[in-house]
Amino acid sequence: MSAPALIRVEGVSKRYRTSSGAVDALRDVSLTVRQGEFCTIIGPSGCGKSTLLGMLGGLVLPDGGCIQIEGQPVSGPDPRRTATVFQDPGLFPWRTALENIEFGLELQGVDRRRRRAVAAELLGPLGLRRFGDKYPRELSGGMRQRVAIGRALAIEAKILLMDEPFGALDEQTRVLMGEWLLDIWRRTERTVIFVTHSLHEALALSTRVVVMTARPGRIKTVLELPQPYPRAMESPELVALRAKLWSEIRDESLRAMGEA
Amino acid sequence: MRIPLVRLGLLIAILGLWEAGARAANPLLYVPPSAAVPALRELLALRSYPDLPAHLLLTAQEIAVAYGLAVAAGLAIGFALGASRLLGRAYGPILAALYAVPAVVWYPSLMLFFGLDAASKIAFGFLLGFFPITLAVLAGIRQVSPALVTVARSFGASPVAIFGKVMIPGMLFTLVGGLRTGLALAVIGVIVGEILGSKAGLGSLINHAYGLFRIADYVALVVVTLVLIVASDALASLVERRARRWTT
Repeated sequence: MSAPALIRVEGVSKRYRTSSGAVDALRDVSLTVRQGEFCTIIGPSGCGKSTLLGMLGGLVLPDGGCIQIEGQPVSGPDPRRTATVFQDPGLFPWRTALENIEFGLELQGVDRRRRRAVAAELLGPLGLRRFGDKYPRELSGGMRQRVAIGRALAIEAKILLMDEPFGALDEQTRVLMGEWLLDIWRRTERTVIFVTHSLHEALALSTRVVVMTARPGRIKTVLELPQPYPRAMESPELVALRAKLWSEIRDESLRAMGEA
Repeated sequence: MRIPLVRLGLLIAILGLWEAGARAANPLLYVPPSAAVPALRELLALRSYPDLPAHLLLTAQEIAVAYGLAVAAGLAIGFALGASRLLGRAYGPILAALYAVPAVVWYPSLMLFFGLDAASKIAFGFLLGFFPITLAVLAGIRQVSPALVTVARSFGASPVAIFGKVMIPGMLFTLVGGLRTGLALAVIGVIVGEILGSKAGLGSLINHAYGLFRIADYVALVVVTLVLIVASDALASLVERRARRWTT
């Protein structure tokens, strides 16, 4: 791949002050992501994955180091560059699915008719064609998360930041949502940064997997996955990769458990 | 369709009991509906109290001013206390404690400060209406999910946009409930104030009729007061429904 670097994370660290003293969430993390990648960040609980994602989205500012997107330092949320999907879909309960999808466009001052057209066009690929007028409470967990993804896609930010977006869903829905997301990603040519706990998701979806260490979070290994999609998860190659990935994560998870 | 019928049934039962009871006891003291209706007709025909419209208008004006001030101060102070963690923690409990004090104990001093005219009634209506509104704002702010605020921030929402598109809709149910309670209490405050001591207004007429033992007129005036209160609450519920449509 010779695509230019889109995201450059350099020597970033973050420390949180809590009532029981300071906690090092991230220490000296450096990472470069190219345009069009599907980059998954995986690691034990509390390794700072979400913090890193928050920094890319401008919601959390680093204590040290710097983050650049398209050569510009990140100083706050910028919807032209990043859109975030959270684990809790965070839909506005007083808005219908369509109105939720329109939210970002509304903030940008896009007029009513335009933004409705954009949102309505997304309903098809989101698999929500008949659900545009439903309120979040009337939708299943998987549908809600697709609305949240639609809300992020609607603003056409270059980078989609996803913080365990399928973490609250059941296993089957999760696998299907992964396949669906892959399809969306390949069609829209976004760059995706995807945080997960799931080895399956990491191996099935990513062009690259970044393994993080237990707290304080550092980058342990980076795995390139050039295999074409859809991936045969039972092929010897992927089974071997899975074993390798698991052995990397296992030690860190054990350390995280021992510390907890 | 059945609910109004059941309600009507209760009304008829109460009127029947009232009529029977009043006749059996003392029709002069316990004015039965059959005597109250003619008194009400006299009142509405402006024969028993010819200046009723002027008194009604005054009462309505007092309510409007008292409620307007209560809404303005309640929203301003509620949001100020909600915006600052320190202020909210410091003063929120004091407000809640004051709300629990029977407000009528303040009324004598309000009359001393503001005199017998409209000002003391407005002050009392304001005092009663202010607390539920302020407390509803504080409760409403606490109800807004921080996760939704984070979502809005991630989409680049300004503080003003977060306020208008996340905070207000998120707290609307509680806020509108508080505004409605505030209106009911402001109405009560003004009328109680008039009854306790005034020279004009619906409450002063009630006091007058009662003082002169014109019990049938007194009952007729109470009916007018009831209609006023029910009408203001109906107006409030109309606004409430509008507000809900507006947020979506």
